Formats: sequence, C-alpha cells, structure tokens
Amino acid sequence: MLDPSAAPSGDTEFARLDRRSFLKSGLGGTLLLATVSATAGLSGCATAPASQLGAVDTRMDASYQFRFLTRDDIELFEALLPAMFGPALPEQPQARRLAVASAIERIDAGIQYFGPGNQQELRQLFDLLTFGFTRVTIARVWSRWPNVSTADANAFLERWRTSGIGLFNNGYIALTKISNVAFYGGRDQWHLSGYPGPPQWAVDALPQFKPA
Amino acid sequence: MSLTDRIAQGLEAGWKVTDATTLTDNQTHEADVVIVGTGAGGGTTAEILAKSGLSVILVEEGRLFYQKDFTMDEHSAYASLYQEGMSRTTQDGAIAILQGRCVGGSTTVNWTSSFRTPDQTLAYWAENFGLENLRPEAMAPWFEGREQRHTVAPWQTPPNVNNDILRQGCEQLGYSWQTIPRNVKGCWNLGYCGVGCPTNAKQGALMTTIPGALDHQARLFHGLRAERLVMDQDRIDHLQASAMAADGITPSGVTVTLKARHFVVAASAIGSPGLLLRSDIPDPHARVGKRSFIHPVNATIAQMPEKVDPFYGAPQSIYSDEFNFKNGVDGPAGFKLEVPPLHPGMSAGVIPGHGPEQIDAMAGLPWTQSVIALMRDGFHPESPGGTVTLRDDGSPVLDYPITDYLWQGLRQAYLTMTEIQFAAGASKVRLVHLDSDWYTSWADARAAINSIAMEPHRVRLFTAHQMGGCSMGADPRTSVVNGFGEHHQVSNLSVHDASVFPTSIGANPQLSIYALAARNSARLAGKLNA
Repeated sequence: MLDPSAAPSGDTEFARLDRRSFLKSGLGGTLLLATVSATAGLSGCATAPASQLGAVDTRMDASYQFRFLTRDDIELFEALLPAMFGPALPEQPQARRLAVASAIERIDAGIQYFGPGNQQELRQLFDLLTFGFTRVTIARVWSRWPNVSTADANAFLERWRTSGIGLFNNGYIALTKISNVAFYGGRDQWHLSGYPGPPQWAVDALPQFKPA
Repeated sequence: MSLTDRIAQGLEAGWKVTDATTLTDNQTHEADVVIVGTGAGGGTTAEILAKSGLSVILVEEGRLFYQKDFTMDEHSAYASLYQEGMSRTTQDGAIAILQGRCVGGSTTVNWTSSFRTPDQTLAYWAENFGLENLRPEAMAPWFEGREQRHTVAPWQTPPNVNNDILRQGCEQLGYSWQTIPRNVKGCWNLGYCGVGCPTNAKQGALMTTIPGALDHQARLFHGLRAERLVMDQDRIDHLQASAMAADGITPSGVTVTLKARHFVVAASAIGSPGLLLRSDIPDPHARVGKRSFIHPVNATIAQMPEKVDPFYGAPQSIYSDEFNFKNGVDGPAGFKLEVPPLHPGMSAGVIPGHGPEQIDAMAGLPWTQSVIALMRDGFHPESPGGTVTLRDDGSPVLDYPITDYLWQGLRQAYLTMTEIQFAAGASKVRLVHLDSDWYTSWADARAAINSIAMEPHRVRLFTAHQMGGCSMGADPRTSVVNGFGEHHQVSNLSVHDASVFPTSIGANPQLSIYALAARNSARLAGKLNA
C-alpha cells in the first residue's frame, strides 16, 4: 500500500482541484473512482479475492473461501463493523472476533450475487477507501484501517452520512446497507431485533423442513 | 419432498424443463412461439398459447425455485430470488429496486396485492395515448378472468397489527381505507411472501400459469439468458441465448439458439427494453427505454406502545387511496398508502444508520410499524419517468431523475404518513431519511418535514414496481407497441409485460399485467392459429 507521503507527483496538482465541485458531478466521481481502481490494481494493492489467503492471514473460518473481498477490504470491514455494531457485539474477545468475521463472510457471500455492474462499483468504492492516497485525501482517514480506532471509524461514517455530496452519501449507504443486512439478517443476530424466526408450528408442519 | 407440490409433481410426471446450467453443448430448438420471461406477463402468455395448441418455449434467466427451496430465510432468498442479489438500484444508486429473478418473476416474491388498473388510469391512457380499447368496461372481463385464474379476493382474515395501524390512523382522521385483494388459496397468514411462499398458497405465475403451460407441452429453459433477438430482413429469425454457469449468474459459454414464428418479450420493464436495445430492434423514433416508471416509494417508521411483530402475518392487507387521485389524475403527484413487512435483514437494510442509534432502532423492531407511499408517476409533464440504457457489458440499467414535482409529492407523503401513525397512537415516528430524528408529536414531525432536505440519497427511496420502457400507444412516433402489445415495426414481435404501460398504474401492477397479457395473448393465439 502506498504511503501518503510517497504519493505520486499528481498529488499537488490534485490538491489544487476543487474537490467538492469535482465530486459533485456524478461523472467526475465515476472517473475518479475508476482511476483509483486502476491505479490500485497497477500498484500491486491486493485486489485478488482473499480466498487465496490462508486462514491464518484472514483470521477467518478456514472453510470459508472469499470470492470478492480482498485482504484490504477485510481490514476495512474489521475497522468499520465495530463502529456500526459495537455495543451489539459480544464483549468476550473471541466471540466478538467471530461475530465480526462471520458478518464479513456473509457480506462477501451476498456480494457474489450482485452481478458485474454493482460489483464493479463496490470494487471502486473499496479501492478508494483502501488505497492510501485516496483514503487520506478523500475519506480523510489518516491511518491504515487496521490502525483506525472505532471512534475514528465512526467519525468517517458520520462524515459520509452528513456530507452535502451525494456520492459520499451513496458510499455511506452502500457500506452500511450491505453490513446491516448481513449482520442483523443473520440467525445469530436475530435476538438483537427481537425476531423469534419463522413460526415453529409452521416449520414443524412444512415438508421442506423435514429430513429427506 | 411432498408430492402434493405442484412443481415437484410436474417434474416427476415429465414436464419439459431444462436447467440450462447443466448444458454442455451448444444447441438449437424451434417452436411456434418463444417467450422471454416467466413472470406475470410471460407465464400468462405461455399458458394461453400452449392451451390453444401452439408449441411454446419459455426462457428464464433466473432459476426454478419452488417449495423445497422456500425456507423463510432472508439471506438465501435475497441472493437467489432477486435481481442482482437484492442490490439492484437506479444508475446513481439513489433508488433501491426490488425485482424478482426466478421462474415466476416478481410474482414469486411479491406481497400478493392484486388490484385492477384504476379506471382513472385507463381513461387517461385512452385520452392521451389513443388506447380507446382499454377503457374500463372493455377490460373488466379480462380482470374478472384473471381474478379467477389467480384466486384473487379481498383478504378475509383480520389484518396483522402492522396493517391495522394504517386502518386505525385513517379511521381517526376520516381518510378512506380498504381491504387489499390478494392472490392466495389456503394462505397460512405467515408473512413470508417476499422470500418465496413456503406453503404454495400464493397463486402467482409459479403455481398457476407456468404449471398450466407445462401441462400443455410448453418447454421451459431456466438459467438461460436471452442475449439478442436476431433479425432476418424485417422479421426476427431467432433468439440467441446464453446458458448460465452453476452459480446462476455468469455465462458458462454454452449458447442456445431458439427459432420461432413469433417472439414475445416479457422480461420486465428493465429487462425488455434491455433486450430490444441489445438486439438493435428497429426503433425509428428512439422510444425504447424511454418513459420508465417505478412508483417511487418513501417510508416512515413508528414505535407503537403495543407489540406489532411486523414480520408476521399477511404482509399487505390494508391500503388507502385517499390521496391517490385526490387532485385529479394529472394534478400534483398522488400516492397510494400501504404497509411493508419488516423482517430483520430487510429492515436493517432499509432503515439507514449505524452505531447505537441503529442498534436501538433494530431492538425496537417488534414494536415497529411502517407506512409506505407509492407515488403515481407519469401522469404529468413534470413526471416524464426514467430511461433504460445498456452498461458496457450489455446489462440494462435504469436512470431515474426525481423531479421537483415528485419531491413535492414525496414531502406531502411524509406529512400524511406521520400524521396517520401519530393518529393511530405512535409514541414516536421517524422518516426513512438520512437526516431524520425521532419525532414525538405530529407537530414536531411536520415542522421537521417542511424543512428537511429533499435530495437523492438523503431521502431513502425504493421501487418494487417497474413499468414502461416499451410504451404502448396508437402513434408509432411516441410508442413502441400498439394496444395489443404488437411491435410497431417488427411484425413477429410482441411485448407482454409491465414495460408496455405508458404511465405507472397507480396500484400494485401484477393484476394489470396478468389481464393485459391475457387479452393480448388470446388475440395472438387467434392470429397464429388462423
């Protein structure tokens, strides 16, 4: 990953751009994201799905094969999920780690079905957030994600939620929506929304729940 | 697996159903008619044509899922039954699009509300698009026929609390409300319509017209994407289709060529214009993909003093049309009021937020009630709709700008929905909007709504009803097909789905699609059998 101080010479030129007005146009935003995505790929950032990483590297269930999320993406979500769900996560460290890991796996599993169009947009978003130069200049997150505190992760989410720039609002929605659906929709988290699950009498009566 | 299941029985009995993900060789097949899409329009067309003696091939990009797969589970259902794994949005990401992608199309996952096309809508079409033959009296027998075919009747069981609160609020305020007609037979009142009916009670295409067509020798390919209609001179010669790989989403490389005398496109208001655009079908006035409508939906949620359990019970049973045509058919934007079911995953995805506020909102789910407003778009010069275009990879995408006219309607809807929820006894109410707080009185809510930003992304918007894009009309300069769904330029092409509607419907569209497809298929069967 590029260090911001070692950013390409375009840095100063970029800084002179009126970032706000540039991003306000959807086209500008798309072009920028596409550029970041290409740059991140060329500069050797991890854009290969993390399935190629061992269980030790990903600190996840060894049986789960990531199809979309890269090692950098996983670090991003490991930093963001405690800000999204902190008090709802188990306090015991091992249980907490597992709850975050399984939510990230479910995020990856869901994205598999998103289709090429939306996957490409998510790739651009994740690359923007994990590529050092844009993480600092656009997301205004100063450290690499593994070093970002929960308070700073929350501040980032709040900036994008309250921003007057639609593109950032859209990024906020994309990050929180896939995380919220994966987390609260999971059976292990149903209790957080007081959802008892499908009525047991119906499960007992229906043929599809009977062992074959 | 239970052999009382209609699909399991049919497969056992030798229906001609091919799972295209299992194909290993390119192949060619031929029939009288090839139908693209198996939803409300495609299913209806297939059954009527097959029963008339024509040979029919049905093409479905999604997969065949049925009772054995319907396990009342959100994650697996969103991944397998919905377009783009439930992540479909408009081009700028501002409007979430809920749309089925499976055999039966959106009728497999809809909430069963079955309304006739409002008289005002049909009259507007007659006056503005030359569709005199679709006036209410002419359409009545077709609605009646389809209501019988799909077992449509007003819901007899008491509404669940979620819906009853809409009724109570309307009663308090003197607003009209009615009971929703549903297409169900022996419904268990469980509340899982949106993830595939687990009891086979829902009488969508999957339980009615698809089995009806297959019983009459129709052939179904699922997991097969219609890529391109290929012309020979002035007629379509064949459909080029791609088999999906085992994941159901990427092409396997196997191609299927389908030849026919006639082609019916019923691939939805996003898919049908997409297919016509990919195929370079003659479009001299550049009408394909234009005038796309979606009933833009905004929502409010309320905390009630009583338990609501909004995840259980028939999801939609009460509606209010008090504000739908109140200002005339073409005045300020009207809206229909309904209620959505709230399961944990869906709720967490719809309610925007993170951190302790989101945790609190989710913890309150058993006491949460929601009202939605469906904006009637397309009836005013300032509501011209959106546009379907193709991405670089050929997949269709909808661009839908929200005009000031619609923002005004959406703001009015926020006011009305919060008023109704407080009138029904809500302890606090918030908008599904990035800037909304919880409000503890309607006065507070009203003050906030009158100044809240009405902007894309900040206002959370949804659509479950996609319409238009292959508009019907008498004038070929302003439409794609005529009132019978017959393409203006290509004689062996028809469009039989919601894409032909020249405006939105002003009600959940499934019965409008069933009825128009039935009428137009009866005519098509007569022509092809002549």
